Amino acid sequence: MAKVKAKDLRGKKKEELLKQLDELKTELQTLRVAKVTGGAAAKLAKIYTVRKSVARVLTVINQTQKENLRKFYRKKAFKPKDLRHKKTRALRRALTPYELKIKSKKEQRKQRLYPQRKYAVKE
Amino acid sequence: MAPKGKKPVPSKPAPKEVKKSAPPKASSGGVVKAKEKALKAKKNVVRGRHDKKNRKVRTSVHFRRPKTLKLPRNPKYPRKSVNRTNKLDQYALIKYPLTTESAMKKIEDNNTLVFIVDKRANKPMIKQAVKKLYNIDVAKVNTLIRPDCEKKAYVRLASDHDGLDVANKIGII
Repeated sequence: MAKVKAKDLRGKKKEELLKQLDELKTELQTLRVAKVTGGAAAKLAKIYTVRKSVARVLTVINQTQKENLRKFYRKKAFKPKDLRHKKTRALRRALTPYELKIKSKKEQRKQRLYPQRKYAVKE
Repeated sequence: MAPKGKKPVPSKPAPKEVKKSAPPKASSGGVVKAKEKALKAKKNVVRGRHDKKNRKVRTSVHFRRPKTLKLPRNPKYPRKSVNRTNKLDQYALIKYPLTTESAMKKIEDNNTLVFIVDKRANKPMIKQAVKKLYNIDVAKVNTLIRPDCEKKAYVRLASDHDGLDVANKIGII
């Protein structure tokens, strides 16, 4: 069996990937049976590669799924929570930059009328 | 506000708003009528109503919470973007068959196969998984948990299957 490469997997469609996943898993089952019945060394060594191939297929499936979801929700106002910024709990609850920036009328007036002056001492 | 709880009171804002929002549509007579109604409603609020026409009849001593509108859920966004896939699928459920002497005896004598399965598997799940994986009919499943914390499943095949043939096909023999 040719080596399963992630590069080749990324082009495939979801049904193909799921079918490939099925095939790999059945192969893994037969290899495990061989392990129990004292199979050849070649078979036992193959278990590792098949396990990692399964992992690769699953990674590609999940990555493309997440990517497509992010694309779908990109322009929307409300995103699912796992697609939002993770940051930290405190940062997520902090005031937004806009909220930090807004000033009351009183404060705006003060800033306009009494800006910070700079003086220099003449030598 | 005085605790009167009479029906006309809550409807006070409605006629007033109707009058204010729809002046062009009604004829002059209609506008006057609406205005009168609004003024009457205002007077009722300010002075208070003392009539007994719309008083509720209480048939029980207890006050039961009135039933209010319960809307079904209509979320603006799903909380999780995707639901978790089932990690315990048929391949993960059945780990491997047992090939010990007593297991072999069971295949020949009792037409059963012996599997090591995932500890979280239950009998109906094991039945389904074996059916799907090996295309055989299962009569019943017995399970036990070994002392080394693995679950062993005795899967009795239906009488139209031969245990030895199936074991050969799987690769156990």
